[in-house]
Amino acid sequence: MAAVLNDRSRRWRWWCCSWLSLALVACQPASHELTPLQQGLVYCSEGNPEGFNPQLGTSGTTIDATASQLYDRLLDYDAEHQQFVPALAERWEALDNGQRYRFYLRQGVQFHHTDWFTPSRTLNATDVVFSFQRWLQPQHPYHAVNGGNYPFFTSSGLVNLISAVERIDDYTVDFQLSRGDSSFLANLATDFNVVLSAEYAQQLIAQQQPQLLDRQPIGTGPFEFVEFRKDVLIRYQRHHQYWREAPFFEQLVYVITSSANKRMLKLLTGECDVIPYPLIDELKQLDVDDEIEVANAVNPNLAYWAFNTDRAPFNQVDVRQALSHAVNRQAIIQAIYNGNARQASGILPETSWAFSELDFTHNYDPERAKQLLQQAGYAQGFAMQIWAMPVQRAYNPNAQRMAELIQADLAVIGVRAEIVSYEWNEFRRRLDNGEHDSVLIGWVADNADPDNFFSPILSCAATQGGNNRTNWCDPAFDQQLAQALIATTVAQRRPLYHAIEAYAVQQAALLPIANSLRFQAHRVDITGVELPPYGAISFRHARRLDTRSKLEQQP
Amino acid sequence: MIRYSLRRLILLLTTLWLLTVLMFVLHQLFPGDTLTNMSGIRFSDGAAYQLAQQRYAMSHSWFSQYGQFLQALLHGDWGQSLVTQRAVFTDIMPQLGATLELTVLTMSLSMLVGVPLGMYAAVQQRGPLDRLIMGVSLSAYSVPAFWLAQLALLLFAVKLGWAPISGQLNPLFNITPHSGSVLLDILLSDSPNRGAAFIDALQHLWLPVVVLTIIPLTLLIRITRNATLDVLQQNYIRAARSRGLSDRRIMVKHVMPNAMQVVVRQLGMQFSLLMSNIIIIETIFNWPGIGSSLIKSIYERDYPVMLGGLFTLAALILLVDVAVELYHAWRYPQVRKELYADR
Repeated sequence: MAAVLNDRSRRWRWWCCSWLSLALVACQPASHELTPLQQGLVYCSEGNPEGFNPQLGTSGTTIDATASQLYDRLLDYDAEHQQFVPALAERWEALDNGQRYRFYLRQGVQFHHTDWFTPSRTLNATDVVFSFQRWLQPQHPYHAVNGGNYPFFTSSGLVNLISAVERIDDYTVDFQLSRGDSSFLANLATDFNVVLSAEYAQQLIAQQQPQLLDRQPIGTGPFEFVEFRKDVLIRYQRHHQYWREAPFFEQLVYVITSSANKRMLKLLTGECDVIPYPLIDELKQLDVDDEIEVANAVNPNLAYWAFNTDRAPFNQVDVRQALSHAVNRQAIIQAIYNGNARQASGILPETSWAFSELDFTHNYDPERAKQLLQQAGYAQGFAMQIWAMPVQRAYNPNAQRMAELIQADLAVIGVRAEIVSYEWNEFRRRLDNGEHDSVLIGWVADNADPDNFFSPILSCAATQGGNNRTNWCDPAFDQQLAQALIATTVAQRRPLYHAIEAYAVQQAALLPIANSLRFQAHRVDITGVELPPYGAISFRHARRLDTRSKLEQQP
Repeated sequence: MIRYSLRRLILLLTTLWLLTVLMFVLHQLFPGDTLTNMSGIRFSDGAAYQLAQQRYAMSHSWFSQYGQFLQALLHGDWGQSLVTQRAVFTDIMPQLGATLELTVLTMSLSMLVGVPLGMYAAVQQRGPLDRLIMGVSLSAYSVPAFWLAQLALLLFAVKLGWAPISGQLNPLFNITPHSGSVLLDILLSDSPNRGAAFIDALQHLWLPVVVLTIIPLTLLIRITRNATLDVLQQNYIRAARSRGLSDRRIMVKHVMPNAMQVVVRQLGMQFSLLMSNIIIIETIFNWPGIGSSLIKSIYERDYPVMLGGLFTLAALILLVDVAVELYHAWRYPQVRKELYADR
């Protein structure tokens, strides 16, 4: 019998050897140059983007994947020096008492050259006009393409503010405003105001495939789109003719890794170079400081609990106040944010110039909550749903756990809460339909103007297709917001925003919970990944230090 | 043999047909618009929706609706995903390739290791090595695959760094998936870094394959061992031995072919068991196959993708089952004799 086995094992050995030698032969040419691994950066993102055009989306995942990589804006906001800096527009001026803005465009800005589109000209006024008309004019041929929802522009009020966008000559564009508005430039500098290629759009119309405009994007940004495989990856490559300094990395790959644990492990093994939303505490316990750095950025955000005021009993202000009094927010800050957040004292975060030292919010007081419920006629309590996001966001690292804490707090005042969650895109779709009782969600400001914390999440305009998850619509409140925008100086506007904030919190359509820091972790050999407070992650200045030693670590 | 093959093939076609009927009924029963569930086109898509209404004969009877549905299905028009708006069929084919790659490697590995080990255990019956092999295989069989996968990941990927945690290939290698099988795609690509990519792909592959192999392997060892023991007691083995044939010759010429008959018969069942494990393993290792896409589509309520994946998996299991049975009947005539004698 032993002979049989010997024979077998010999055959086995032969089999193994032949495979091994095949592998070794295959290995030969690559042993000298491992270029793709050195010249690329892997960013393990937290989810699939909804599309590749920030005009159509508001989710942080979409913006992070597109805005700073594929596109440029007319102007950028420099958060450090608190000023606007030129981008695609070299300079601009306000005319007619601030009712008309004139932008002078940069010349020689190249669009991406890809397999599916070769631009015949550089950027000019036609492209800028096209990019803005698309969402401004409902009869524009591209307006209805890919859904026709432009949440940022409706909720920020830009749709009503800009009355016309006119081409003066090839490199001059005029914006005619319906009224003076002090937040106009701040809104224009946000990630949503990207410039698309009108020539590409024309070509797609001729090919009868207009929907590709947002799926196979063409922009002027530092990286070109290569491919997107849902749930797997997004691949970008360097835009060689970028009008600023071209990026260091030849390739930029977003590997879609929705599990926070797996993201952290992949960072440890070096499969990811950079990850968003790391599990801070777990990383600290692992003691891997020599391999991994954690960066944080002040992030103007707010986590809140929104009540759907279209539904009973949340249409009663007493009920909303009662629920606000019932939640122990201090415990949430400790348990969910591990102290890396500040208990919200209103709707505006500390970073805003309109921030008030006064605490407007409802304090933790279960007795008061019970009284209020009694007044509203719900002495026996009621049953409700808390919707919890399935993803981590800068403002809320663990909505599920937060929902559980709130559930326990509510049980004390006799309210029976059930926790509901769906996949992220499905979750947002159902929120748009208003299927929720209440939802744990949040807001990250797009620009430094305090209006950005009110109009997009609490105004009437934002109830349809916008981000107003409370569906609370109060004309008096909208009136106040409009007045605050007409005022031009900070000194005039600050008291107006204090009043607005006090009123909004007192109405309790939402309960402000926390302002938190945004974290990002990366391997120590990566530098220059930028996390601007207003806007998307940017890899334009990212580079890899000392590529030799990194080479050895590559699995 | 011809009659037997025909019977099996007709049974296969009937089962597949019943599967399409079930799919059609499910489309009606899922919440929401039936046409949207079927084609992935939403009412808000306007003209496309009206076109689809005609295409699927929505205004006619259920019977003609089913006719149109079946026609579309056969033409590879499986609708579009509700999430990505991409054609389901074109997306499923590379996923099928990725799943098949895992399956083929797993089945080959478990055959190559399991059959010799099982035979060896039978020869050494009640010896210490037999007890060891049987003991280890029994305990490995009782470990759930998802738990084993997590443990293997922690040990081999995180602690030892012998394998990456997930995926098919380091994403910085720009290899476009055509067949879905990463090894094939690399070999067929014209990338200058083919060699390095191939090594990298093998590093990604070995851990999921080994974890997946455990279950069929342990079963195969037990089946082979029992089959070999049965054969060894047959008279023709005794006769062969009395004629003075060497042990080696007896094993290779007489025992193995006869023992394999039982093993082959079990392969179809092993395959369907493997398929249910592959869904879990693909999800854990982020393997871009049908299993992980099925789980995601369920989570996203993406009905066209969900049913496309289900149909492909079910059809694959049926096809393999019938193929194994046909091979079995063709290779071992005595089985055929039994089949006909039964009637």
